[in-house]
Amino acid sequence: MNYFRTIRATSSACRFNWRIDVKKQTKFEIKRRSRYPMPRVDRWLSAASRHNAVLLLFVVCCGVTVIGALVIRDMQQANTEAQKMYKSSVNGLQEIGELQYDAQETRRTTLYALTTTDSNLQVEYADQTRDADRRVRNGIGEYGRQAKGPEELALAERLNRDWTAYLGVRDEVLASILEGSTSEAVNLDLKGGVPAFERVRQDLNEVKRLYGEDASREQASLAESSRRSSSRMVGILSFTFLLSTAAVWAIQRSQMLGRMQLANLQMEFVASVSHELRTPLAVIRSAADNIADGLVKNMDALLRYGAILQHQSRSMGELVDQILLFASTEDRKKRVPLQPLPVEQIIETVLSDTEVLVRDSGFTLDIEVEPGLPHALGDLAGITQCLRNLVGNALKYGGADRRILLKAGAFVPRDKFPGEVHISITDRGIGIDSSEIVHIFDPFYRSPRVHASQIHGTGLGLALAKRIAESMGGSLTVFSQLSAGSTFTLHLQIAQGDDLQMPASEGRQSRMSLT
Amino acid sequence: MIVVNRSNPINELSFDELRRIFLGTRSHWPNGRRITLVMREPGEPERRTVLRDLCGMNEDQFKNHFVHGLYTGEILVSPKILASPVGVRKFVFNVPGAIGYLRVGDVDDSVKVVRIDELLPDDKGYKLRMQVQLAN
Repeated sequence: MNYFRTIRATSSACRFNWRIDVKKQTKFEIKRRSRYPMPRVDRWLSAASRHNAVLLLFVVCCGVTVIGALVIRDMQQANTEAQKMYKSSVNGLQEIGELQYDAQETRRTTLYALTTTDSNLQVEYADQTRDADRRVRNGIGEYGRQAKGPEELALAERLNRDWTAYLGVRDEVLASILEGSTSEAVNLDLKGGVPAFERVRQDLNEVKRLYGEDASREQASLAESSRRSSSRMVGILSFTFLLSTAAVWAIQRSQMLGRMQLANLQMEFVASVSHELRTPLAVIRSAADNIADGLVKNMDALLRYGAILQHQSRSMGELVDQILLFASTEDRKKRVPLQPLPVEQIIETVLSDTEVLVRDSGFTLDIEVEPGLPHALGDLAGITQCLRNLVGNALKYGGADRRILLKAGAFVPRDKFPGEVHISITDRGIGIDSSEIVHIFDPFYRSPRVHASQIHGTGLGLALAKRIAESMGGSLTVFSQLSAGSTFTLHLQIAQGDDLQMPASEGRQSRMSLT
Repeated sequence: MIVVNRSNPINELSFDELRRIFLGTRSHWPNGRRITLVMREPGEPERRTVLRDLCGMNEDQFKNHFVHGLYTGEILVSPKILASPVGVRKFVFNVPGAIGYLRVGDVDDSVKVVRIDELLPDDKGYKLRMQVQLAN
């Protein structure tokens, strides 16, 4: 135990001081976390890249839907506009036609009265001409009300005036016909009626001309709008096509890249594993050869060979274990049974587990544990495996300083934040470049710098640690600065009241009563 | 009752003037418009009333009077014959110089009622009573 400088509370005063220290540390930790929100963004990014095909498809679908809606709306608008114009133009033409017909009818029926001497028939014709002239008056009134612009308004007034003038003559002609003075009626009509009606006819033609101009203006604007909408549609369709093409390209490319990356990683993994396995195998084989060939003569040498064999076979076993464990955690849905664990027990297990390793590497392990920590929820074997990997990494990449800090603390539950227990391993080694930090939890990933420094490994340790943490409902985060060191933090859930009722070993009972 | 066109300035006629008008001997209004006489067909109650009370003639005498008058040039036009009271009213409405006889129920404001000897049909002593109703 002399390799560990355990800061365990020995007196209440010391505990107090230390607690302040730990509070500071915790604050510092929080600050650092908030100043460096990358892990969360990175997690999100990696998730996005994992699902990028689905995301892209979703985006494209949304885009196409929106564009489709736009196109349909545009078409409907153009259609409505065309229908409205058609309707109004048909209506307008019909109204003008009726006006012209009724004006003619007024004159015609007046003159029909000339064809008979029967006063009864003449009176009927008089009725008809008056009906027709009433319709004309209504039509003129309607035209005046709907007149757009001063030109049409003036025309409506003129038409009204001319029509009234004609009606004056018409009444005289009609009276003459009814009185029986046919020749007088004909004279009156020729002198006054014909020119007056001619003026009305010209006015009506003018109405028609103006309407035609108006309609052709509207038609031009409709044609313009339809041209606009069709060009818009073409634009939109080409945009959709481009978008879809880009999306398909991006999906294929990302899939291809992903596959290539995976293939590369697997190649590297195979190379690395075979290297890791071959080295101890070569040592074991030569040791075994030496013993078999009888080269080992005395007991001391035999014991040395035995130690070599033991060490090499153990390291091989560990490697195989890691690979198997990683394969077994491939199924992420699998959850390990969780139980409340006192943090001290976790620390102790980890210490005893890594004692030899740390000692052999010539490192010093400092420990800071906040007193009165709540129980963490997890699986002891999993946590130990996870922390052992982290400690192993710290030893591997810990640099010349040869010091590792193991720290345990907690955030109390507050508001919506459920609280957590966190255990971190800090080294002062080579650190991790920010461009690599995204990938360090990817399976088989190994930094090029590590390759260059010939540090052995499979690239499975961190991926495994992260999977274990997540399978326990926790998480693993990292804070690192190049050449300054790295801190890996395992976040665990706090055991709630229900979980605590589970029976635990004696050592924890007293702890529980304390918390 | 006796009705004229609304544009006719005449509001009142003496029984005598009316008689001359209906016999065709007076051919123009004071404003110079030609008088057009409107009557129902022979046998209709309105016509009978006019012939009996105003002209003091029967159908044949009335016809003869007009044939004679037209022949001599004393009368310019023969009366217009219409088949219905509505026709009479419409004729009077359409012709500024027209004058006709209608029952009270057939009159509306498209034509103008003329006083006879300062009397309206509702007044006592109005000389053109529809005696047909009594006869019926």
